[in-house]
Amino acid sequence: MTTMKRRFVKTVLAAATAAAMLLLVGAAEAQEIQLTGPLKGAPAVRRLRLYRQGRMEIAPSVSFTLLDEYRRTILMGGQLNYNILDWLGIGVWGAGGAISTTTDLTDRIDAVAPRDPLTATNVNHSLAPSGGRASFADQTAQISWVLVPQLTFIPFRGKLAIFNKIFVDTDFYISGGPSFVGVQERQNCGGAGEPLCSNPKSFTLTSNTKIFATGAVGLTFYPAGVWSFGVEYRALPFWWNRAGFDSRGAGPNGNFPDQQVNDKDATFKFNQLVTIAIGFYIPIAPKLSD
Amino acid sequence: MMQARRWLLLSAALVLTPHPAYAQQKKKPPKAAAAPAPAGPAQAPPAPAAPPPAPVNVDADADQPAAQPGAAPAGGDQKSTAEGAAPGAGGETAGVVDICQVTPDAPQCQLAKEVNLATEAKKPIRAEIYAVQQQYVIKARRLEIVPYFAITLNDQFVSHNAPGLSLNYYITQVLAVGVTGNWYQGLNADSDFNFQNRRAARIAVPLNEYQVSGDFNFTYVPMYGKFAGFGDFIFHYDAYIDGGVGLIRTRPIAVIDPDNRKFDWNNLINFDVGIGLRIFFNRWLAATLEIRDIMYFEKIENKDIANGPAITSGPGYGNSPLNPQTWYDQDTHFTNDVQMQVGLSFLLPTSFEYRLPK
Repeated sequence: MTTMKRRFVKTVLAAATAAAMLLLVGAAEAQEIQLTGPLKGAPAVRRLRLYRQGRMEIAPSVSFTLLDEYRRTILMGGQLNYNILDWLGIGVWGAGGAISTTTDLTDRIDAVAPRDPLTATNVNHSLAPSGGRASFADQTAQISWVLVPQLTFIPFRGKLAIFNKIFVDTDFYISGGPSFVGVQERQNCGGAGEPLCSNPKSFTLTSNTKIFATGAVGLTFYPAGVWSFGVEYRALPFWWNRAGFDSRGAGPNGNFPDQQVNDKDATFKFNQLVTIAIGFYIPIAPKLSD
Repeated sequence: MMQARRWLLLSAALVLTPHPAYAQQKKKPPKAAAAPAPAGPAQAPPAPAAPPPAPVNVDADADQPAAQPGAAPAGGDQKSTAEGAAPGAGGETAGVVDICQVTPDAPQCQLAKEVNLATEAKKPIRAEIYAVQQQYVIKARRLEIVPYFAITLNDQFVSHNAPGLSLNYYITQVLAVGVTGNWYQGLNADSDFNFQNRRAARIAVPLNEYQVSGDFNFTYVPMYGKFAGFGDFIFHYDAYIDGGVGLIRTRPIAVIDPDNRKFDWNNLINFDVGIGLRIFFNRWLAATLEIRDIMYFEKIENKDIANGPAITSGPGYGNSPLNPQTWYDQDTHFTNDVQMQVGLSFLLPTSFEYRLPK
């Protein structure tokens, strides 16, 4: 062992001994302040009505999609939750597309877009059975159903005063989980064994299931112990081809049309929904905290 | 080796200096019989059957003399004197007696004479307890300054993000008047979605960009409340609606005929409505989140190009593609610019006093 190594080992041993001895010294303490009065040792909230803990929630809901490019959807559904604790629940939200309407852009494309060889792969140019041009709306994708098993976390609980007269217990929650979304979108075309994308038959829709993740934040208002009113914002992102266009697949970075409609033409969309729900609880009466 | 010895000597010295960091020795459990007199004046004689030492009461007024055992607690209001404490017991009670001797007409002396506790105790009590007692923040007669950033929510073609500033003066606790303004120029962004749409369907959608907007607004605060976070801490919030009228400067982005059309800014009257949430960090600082819709009638680019000769004057100028009169669509279009505004709210002055005690 060289002199340098020996000196290093001794220094380390001395430092370790010093550290061990320092640990034997009592811990530093500041002055303990003793609060008195009725708030001494009191929790932030007493006698809290536990609207969630140990209760099953059944909440019929209606959801509205936001910021849609080609088609809006109103989904009817419901939520089934079991709240293990007042701040944690587990459940499932499911909904089906009940009403679907077109946006102004879809109507405008339908009315104005030329039906010629330049747009043949993107806008159906065939004659519809009724005699007119095929509707562009018929090739736009739509949400058919959504199924979301989820965890709900309720970090904030409080109350709301409206006009200084009406007081409502309220909580704020965050929920999240995997999302399973059934969509109707334009079928693949232009590939081997598939129809040409200019073929009117290629504009028919087919069912696909998109799997991704979803998250929501919401407020639940409790006018009574047995029922509640909830408003929720949900992000439901996934990749899909909303217009049925051939936009990508060829050229640099695949950013140019390739005369095929397939997965490459699906783009990521941060789909958003607002949900309104009425919740009913079992057991009917909430417990009280200490 | 010498260094190792120095380390060991230093450690030994530290160990031999015990408890250097104690601010106060640990309190021994009180012995009921032998307890000294509590925190009274330094010369107070020891009481033979005094209670254990009084713990520190952080709610008590620091400048009040500490009360003798058995006297009324310090920090109470004048009512406590009338309701129970015997005159001459010390603390505030002694002070009231002194005042009454000097000025017998003082209100508290009158009160002390008039109130009969036995009679008062027999009266039925109709206590009214508010769900949210004493609002956390008094906004009346305070100025609110809100710097924020606005993000477009409803335009897939061009986003109109903007920094902005609101100044609101609260006339009452729930009503304010103010001005708000956004600066958009330089932040209007044409989206990729717009390009994809043009290429695929050969359809051009008229686009507009904004420069600046400003509005006079009324703000009404109908809701307030509080939340317990994780069952541990409490924070306060309120919700407000606002609305008003103002000006917005916009112009079309030349999409249909970009070679010939160069648009100037147009001043357009707008109406705005919003709904917002304010979460208070303290009594003068809050985070704000607002959804605001700025509504106006937009002048958009004409989707048709004039088919006359490209001349700048002369008989055919009326149908020239260079004539700015042909650049605009004949109709105006009702437009909603829905924004999400995230900002901070500063309330001035930073402090205030409640009119009534809690």
